[in-house]
Amino acid sequence: METDRLEIARLYHRFGFGPRPGEFKAALANGLSATKTSLLSVPTDDLAAAQIAEPNITNLGPRPGQNTSALIEFNIALRQQSRDLPTWWLDRMVLSDHALTERMTWFWHGHWATSISKINFAYPMYLQNQTLRKHALGNFKDMSFAMLNDGALQDWLDGGANTVKAPNENLARELMELFLLGVNRYTENDVRELARSLTGYQVEPWSGKVVFNSKRFDANSKTILGSSANFDGPKATALLLSQTDCAKFISERIWFRFISSTNGLPADNALESAFVGRDIKSILLAATDSKILGDVNNSVVKAPVEWFASVARYLKLTPSALKTQAQLLSYLDKLAQVPFNPPNVGGWPTDESWLSSASAQYRLQFAGWLIKQADLSALTAIAPNKRVVWLQDELGVLAFSNRTRIALDGEKNNPVQLLQLAICSPEYVVSA
Amino acid sequence: MDTLTRRKFLQLSGAATVGAVAPMLTLDEIAAAAATRPLPLGTPILIMVTLYGGNDGLNTIVPYTDPIYYSSRPDISYAPEKVLKLDDQLGLNPAMTGIKSMWDQKKVAIVRGVGYPRPDHSHFTSMAIWQSGAPVSRLNSGWLGRWVESQELDPMLAISLGSVLPPLLVGEKRSGSVLPLGGLVIPTGAFGKDCQKLSQVVSTDNKLMAAAATSMRDLFTVSSTVTPILKMPAPVADDLPTANGGNAGGDSNLSQQLDVVAKLIAAGSPTRVWSVSLGGFDTHANEANAQAALLGTVSAALTRFASQMKNTTRGKDIVTMVYSEFGRRVKGNASQGTDHGTAGPVFLIGDRVKGGFYGDQPSLSKLIGGDLAVTSDFRDIYAAVLEDLLKTPAEKVLAGWKSKGQYF
Repeated sequence: METDRLEIARLYHRFGFGPRPGEFKAALANGLSATKTSLLSVPTDDLAAAQIAEPNITNLGPRPGQNTSALIEFNIALRQQSRDLPTWWLDRMVLSDHALTERMTWFWHGHWATSISKINFAYPMYLQNQTLRKHALGNFKDMSFAMLNDGALQDWLDGGANTVKAPNENLARELMELFLLGVNRYTENDVRELARSLTGYQVEPWSGKVVFNSKRFDANSKTILGSSANFDGPKATALLLSQTDCAKFISERIWFRFISSTNGLPADNALESAFVGRDIKSILLAATDSKILGDVNNSVVKAPVEWFASVARYLKLTPSALKTQAQLLSYLDKLAQVPFNPPNVGGWPTDESWLSSASAQYRLQFAGWLIKQADLSALTAIAPNKRVVWLQDELGVLAFSNRTRIALDGEKNNPVQLLQLAICSPEYVVSA
Repeated sequence: MDTLTRRKFLQLSGAATVGAVAPMLTLDEIAAAAATRPLPLGTPILIMVTLYGGNDGLNTIVPYTDPIYYSSRPDISYAPEKVLKLDDQLGLNPAMTGIKSMWDQKKVAIVRGVGYPRPDHSHFTSMAIWQSGAPVSRLNSGWLGRWVESQELDPMLAISLGSVLPPLLVGEKRSGSVLPLGGLVIPTGAFGKDCQKLSQVVSTDNKLMAAAATSMRDLFTVSSTVTPILKMPAPVADDLPTANGGNAGGDSNLSQQLDVVAKLIAAGSPTRVWSVSLGGFDTHANEANAQAALLGTVSAALTRFASQMKNTTRGKDIVTMVYSEFGRRVKGNASQGTDHGTAGPVFLIGDRVKGGFYGDQPSLSKLIGGDLAVTSDFRDIYAAVLEDLLKTPAEKVLAGWKSKGQYF
């Protein structure tokens, strides 16, 4: 039963954004198998998600010239859109009935990490997010071809500057290193040849519209990974997707983010073979096998957005309704993780990187700020000396240590501070 | 990778994820140590400045008499009359006026063509290699993290500014500390005491839970030492014109980081290694303006910092090292930028430095796959820093590396 509790806790915290009130206890009663099936099968309808209005994020057109009145309006609209975009997505993470789709969209955002700090328009970032959501649990080939034509990604990696006259390697290198194959599974010459294959794309930054201009395309033969042909973007992408290294790499990335960033993917893993058809759902099923999910050594630290979303989900808070949106984004910024703004194309770091003394401070403040906006009547209704044990099940924690029990006991008569400590405890910050 | 990382970048390769946990220290021990054992005067202090994104070395130290330089990058080269001439072949980027004046005072060593064997073009891999200091054995810890482990336990010994610990300061079992720009604020009263209870490491903790508990503990220890100092004004830089001092990069994040460092050094913080950083050097497109602005920021921030420190008793003890994960491709691309390259210059700045050039300037006529050849190994610099400044045998920290440069 103890391993069931471990696996159920991990399913909730890693393949969703934590349990809502009462969910974890109900899942324990339903058993591991039924819980796994329910958490990993996306229902056709998600009533709560359907109620979240799409954000008012539109194509603002090109930036007006300096010293025009239109520029002021443009800047106001852009600022509002840039704020609405992440809060809208946080709403989806927190409010959806079924969290797996958003969790996987979040994973892919970190994989194809594109930052609004360079794109400077919310609209193409919004379009990219829709693409990632559409394919989040679908086929990785479809996702990759869609991303090749994604305006934000092309713009981010200077795709429009990559021409037959002078190739720009930015997109080519990251396509091999970070998106499809993994570092050192190609030569420097492969990077240069792939860059030539990816020439010809042009992007309209404000709309994210990608067009192919054959005049800028290098139509000569290229040799990539030993294959010679007149590769273009789709053909070269198909070649990379067909490599066995692609299955290995995506397995490694899934393992790194969901299972363990310190224990490497074992050589005899079932993920790679599950990914032979590049089906994302299949690789998730392989990754959640009890041999992996029940291994006590595979713990991960919740990244700040994951921690926030699971706290908000438990507290029944609506991110966009928090007072204020700006304060919410400021806390996430201090914790160094704001959606749509990864630090670089490699995405966000993991584990100990989120455990500095500075993040401990910000997490405590953030927790206090969130709890003040929540309804704690369920916790208050529990007798003080039963609250710690009760919270363990409510929050989906495997087990509070003696250390944490002692600390929480000191605050059992003060629901606000009790909860603040509980969600900042090592047992909650880490998915053990 | 672009715009990146005033915050620390941390890479995919996992170097940042192996850091382990320091044993427990009580609050009283730390506070007492800081009050009664300030860093002895005359102890060298190292400031590491990391430029994230791959700084273009050829447009930092410009070979202004080399025709191949001009033919390789017609759009983004600097004309001979623009550069700040260092000798009859090389000149500094025009934006680096402050560094140039320190060079004229023989306080700047420029090591040319610095890199490591079999250069890697990935930001993440290359920065991991630079920060690990172990290009052959590819250790997962940072070279200064291993130095921290060779010293007596002290959370104040090596401090990185920001909220995320860079791999540079990550050790196998213990690591350096981090300090956010605004300082640390800790809960007080009974709630503060319960938070501190939460910061005990217990035997049932796995490695990550122990690290989570330790982060809370460090919040209390570092905060109690540092917070009063951060409330003090920064040392003044009275030999700079105030107009320049005010806007010469004064509002850049790098300057803010160095301001905090300056205050803490002046207060006698027992810290021997500081780490600060600036991002945005990944200039695949429209390089000239972007890089000049960044180098101008670096130059102005370091000049201001040096000027501030000159007025303190620690001025002569400080050595600053500036590096990036790689230089850039010799030939420009069509977007007025450059792609990832290999070797680049490393700067060492301070009174203890013997100013001048070290290492050979990589030849533009003998490129390797379009890239500069590496003529200096960064381990020679690290070894000199370890032995001559940090007074620690380098061989063990640098996985058996035996040679070192003579810059100090």
